[in-house]
Amino acid sequence: MNKMNCQQMEELLPDYLQGALPAAQVAEVEQHCEHCAGCAQDIVMWKKLALLPQETPSVESRQRFDAMMHAYSTTVAETAASVRAAANSAQQPTVAKPSWNFLEWLRTPFAAVAWSAALLLIGLYAGTHISNRTTPAPSDELASLHAEVTSMRQLVALSMLQQQSASERLQGVSWSNREDHLDPQVQSALMRTLRSDGSVDVRLAALDALSRHAAQPLVRKNVLDALQEQQSPLVQVAMIDQLTEWRDPGAAQRLRLLEQTPNLNPAVKQRAEWAIAKLQESTQ
Amino acid sequence: MNSVPDEDVMLQVRDGEVHMLGVLFDRYQAPLFNFYSKMTQDRTVSEDLVQEVFLRILRYRQTYRPGTTFRTWMYQIARNTRIDQVRKVRPESPLTSEPLAPTRARDDAERQQEAQLLQRALMQLPEDKREILVLSRFQELKYEEIARLLGCETGAVKVRVHRALQQLREVYLALENNPAAQAQDPRRASTDSLPPTGRVQ
Repeated sequence: MNKMNCQQMEELLPDYLQGALPAAQVAEVEQHCEHCAGCAQDIVMWKKLALLPQETPSVESRQRFDAMMHAYSTTVAETAASVRAAANSAQQPTVAKPSWNFLEWLRTPFAAVAWSAALLLIGLYAGTHISNRTTPAPSDELASLHAEVTSMRQLVALSMLQQQSASERLQGVSWSNREDHLDPQVQSALMRTLRSDGSVDVRLAALDALSRHAAQPLVRKNVLDALQEQQSPLVQVAMIDQLTEWRDPGAAQRLRLLEQTPNLNPAVKQRAEWAIAKLQESTQ
Repeated sequence: MNSVPDEDVMLQVRDGEVHMLGVLFDRYQAPLFNFYSKMTQDRTVSEDLVQEVFLRILRYRQTYRPGTTFRTWMYQIARNTRIDQVRKVRPESPLTSEPLAPTRARDDAERQQEAQLLQRALMQLPEDKREILVLSRFQELKYEEIARLLGCETGAVKVRVHRALQQLREVYLALENNPAAQAQDPRRASTDSLPPTGRVQ
């Protein structure tokens, strides 16, 4: 049997550690370790990690999960009922189910935006390459390409936020997350979504997306303003949590106002009380 | 119920049977809790993170695609949740927390001391190195699965595991020689060492 060096060990050791090596190679590794203290200590270290105990979650963990599921189901049922009622009163024709036929997909607003953005990019790229003499420095070119891609993503996000199906609107929210900087138009679309989207999931996702830009004071102010008019207890609780986390100076006053709302959901009221106490704690 | 694959259960959840999420919660709350408690050393934070992961699964269930391994998808959400949490912790905010009990009571003194040192050494590793060790050592994830999760080659994962283990060994030895060395508070980990993420949620 050939003796291995440490470099060859590098390839075998990780599989040895997870017990994924065939017996012959296991023997090679062990033989090497008899002469090599470094590699042997790596293995000892890996085995030593077994000393760290297996943790068990508390019983309350499952209870919290059940409470979350209960709140979620109740809210979704309420939302569905109100959407049905709205649809009946308007006597709107039923919306056709989205089809995944490719040709049909191409006719959707998303595809239209994507295509025009793609053509724009190809044009831009070709334009800057063909006219060699006027080609800007590579860094300028990259910067302008980057700007185009940014606006394409924004366009896609804006377009998808207006789709009929909740899953497409969810994807629209995800598109908005790809940008470090939140475009004002996308921000206002997300705010509209948070206020009035028919799906609780999409509203919660919009809140998530907005919360990544909490450094912008306008985002915090908008979320604060939207709290009062929010209908779903689940979204309200999520908003309260967010406001508490931001420690926004105006939050406590608004939460007290919210508490006065007649017929306020008890869970929301309780959360608001908790949040007010928390906010006071942090200002002391 | 135990025999139904995770992926089938998740598809049911996606298609409106949201109560089926309870099955996945029962299967994965303990592994996820262990993942987070080894990453943060904090029970309260870990329990909150586990709840947040399941809320996100519920919220983003319509983005789950058939053919995706549920476990990989879930850990992707779990990593993003952790990254968001690290970014949120403000240096000036008081931390209310419940640190892990270092070891089990029945362990003898020497083993307890070793385990404590080990925990401290693990916490001193940069976030990405600690994460890859926890995933490969404690979460029973194969290198191929970790590679899909991190969006890199399996070979690269093996190299990173080995490097992380070597660094852990160095830190552990240094602590053994100088037990009073200051440990960094993991809840205030720098966001610089956060692993890169192909964000989906």
